[in-house]
Amino acid sequence: MGTFELFFNGLLIAVTWQNLLYCFIGVTFGMIIGVLPGLGPSAGTAILLPLTFGLEAIPSIIMLAGIYYGAMYGGTITSVLINTPGEAASVVTCLDGHPLAQQGRAGVALGVAGIGSFIGGTLAVVGLCLVGPPIAKYALKFGPPEYFALLVLGMTMVIGLIGTSLVRGLIAALIGLLLAMVGTDPVQGTFRFSLGIPDLQDGFDFIPLAMGLFGISEIMLTTDSQMTAVKPAEIKGVLPRKEEWPPTLKAIGRGTVLGFFIGLIPGANSVIPTLLSYALEKKIAKDPTRFGKGAIEGVAGPETANNAYSGGALIPLFTLGIPSSPTVAILLGAFIMHGLQPGPQLFQKNPDFVWAVIASMFIGNLILLFMNLPMARYWAKLMLIPNKLLFPIILAVAALGAFSVKNSLFDVGAMFGFGVLGYLFKKLDIPLAPIVLTFILGSLIESSLSQSLVMYKGNFARFFTNPIAGTLLVLAMLILAVSFVAGLMKKKSVLASDIDN
Amino acid sequence: MRKAGVWMGILFLIWSIVAFMMSSSYVYYSKYGPGPGLFPLWISGLFIVISILYIIESMRKEGVSVNEVLPKGEDLNYILKIMGSIALFILLAPYTGYSIASIVMLFILFFGKYKWYSGLGIAIVTTLILFLIFQTYLRIPLPLNPFGW
Repeated sequence: MGTFELFFNGLLIAVTWQNLLYCFIGVTFGMIIGVLPGLGPSAGTAILLPLTFGLEAIPSIIMLAGIYYGAMYGGTITSVLINTPGEAASVVTCLDGHPLAQQGRAGVALGVAGIGSFIGGTLAVVGLCLVGPPIAKYALKFGPPEYFALLVLGMTMVIGLIGTSLVRGLIAALIGLLLAMVGTDPVQGTFRFSLGIPDLQDGFDFIPLAMGLFGISEIMLTTDSQMTAVKPAEIKGVLPRKEEWPPTLKAIGRGTVLGFFIGLIPGANSVIPTLLSYALEKKIAKDPTRFGKGAIEGVAGPETANNAYSGGALIPLFTLGIPSSPTVAILLGAFIMHGLQPGPQLFQKNPDFVWAVIASMFIGNLILLFMNLPMARYWAKLMLIPNKLLFPIILAVAALGAFSVKNSLFDVGAMFGFGVLGYLFKKLDIPLAPIVLTFILGSLIESSLSQSLVMYKGNFARFFTNPIAGTLLVLAMLILAVSFVAGLMKKKSVLASDIDN
Repeated sequence: MRKAGVWMGILFLIWSIVAFMMSSSYVYYSKYGPGPGLFPLWISGLFIVISILYIIESMRKEGVSVNEVLPKGEDLNYILKIMGSIALFILLAPYTGYSIASIVMLFILFFGKYKWYSGLGIAIVTTLILFLIFQTYLRIPLPLNPFGW
């Protein structure tokens, strides 16, 4: 079957009333998470993951993916209206979005962001349809050595790109790997690091870990002054003036391309495409001084880029089983939870699943366009919910969610422990993203290494005799070396806003 | 020593050494191939090296001080409330059932932010909604008291 037929089959599955409903629920939750400044997409996805326990794989992932790309839309609203980004990818939007709001043009800022997000998000999904199957087909030839090298490369990219310090990135990655090893080992079934505690014999579960690191720690970090809500600016008219359309659309086009390609790189978080897009727009503008004072391209470009990024970032997930950001890692966790084996076989073994989720993303983006253009003012009302009301409720939901993983209070405690760890790490500027990524990939890395070593009779050097695996491993070493040198020269500070979403 | 990173680094070092010793007790290589000890041994060994590098890095001037890491005043209060309420939830739930434990947890968190009767009211309503979603709709077997809630 050709790509088009597969897509059409997926569409038929995606438009069943149940899947449409979960798509709608997903993007709605995504909008809510995006709008609420206290909750990022990774925390939100982790906390809502237990709600999909009773569902089949397709509606679950449709819903969770909806949360993921929906949050990219919602985050804009708070950036523009109260100058507080709802999630990390909208930090840049504050620069010009909020000045526009102060000029009484909040609606226009949200309008171009909505249109740009729709175009960027949709085209990125088209890209996924076109590029995904050939990559997956190529990767099917990968044996354990190639796969091991690919996982190592993905990991080093995450470590190398995130944060100010290579050492801190490595610390986080190693901790993730060590935590992943707790419990029954994948080779012989020995209990490792379980300290004789029965609850640890199955190892730590991913959901309490992600909820603790991203959700609970964020709540603990919120200071008292952030507990009350700020009244948002008024929204009138969402379309730009006639003469503003051409530059806006051009910025949207550039943002789409930029975001999509950065999405393909594991470890490039959602902030990077927005920063680069903003810099690009400012550079090619005839009058760069307008930027920071309400330049419409300064909103359109980055907002488009972050949505194109979120579509592009799904390509390594669907084709290789490698997550490029914590939120995507949580999606990967959900794949595994619902019995799907992530990796290049996914396109072949579960075409219904892959294409239904992809088709649902077109529908979801369309729903989000309507939610954002005519209805932005209603979403803004959500900002009136103060954190002092919201946070206890989130904690209660998280506690229940952690419990429901294995019906055990131990996981509630584990979540809480990871919350404290996340709090300390954020204070010490140790990135959290590598912990989650290596935690989820840990057993895959170990089993592909073991299988390779069996093939190579225990000789690690023979990895380098395999052309693909060797190249990937050399690339990984280069990235670590470059990152180390850049760290010494302190060149990484621009990307180091260390945003873990 | 006022640098928080150094203390954290020492904890990492202890963790890595303990993990290394535990790893070395697992089979490193068997006649069928790598044993359960190979990967953990390398990872914890690397962790020892990186922990030491981290301690050195943290000693430098720009490191975060202990005072910046520990919260103060109202913020400390809130964190203690979060910790206390979750701990209480875990301790209470097996005996009182989910509902009471959840109401107690939420009431503590709302305390001081809302008038006590509003806080109690929101706690009860939230618990009721969550109970309906998780117990009735998702059929998660929550810990219950003899009365069934």
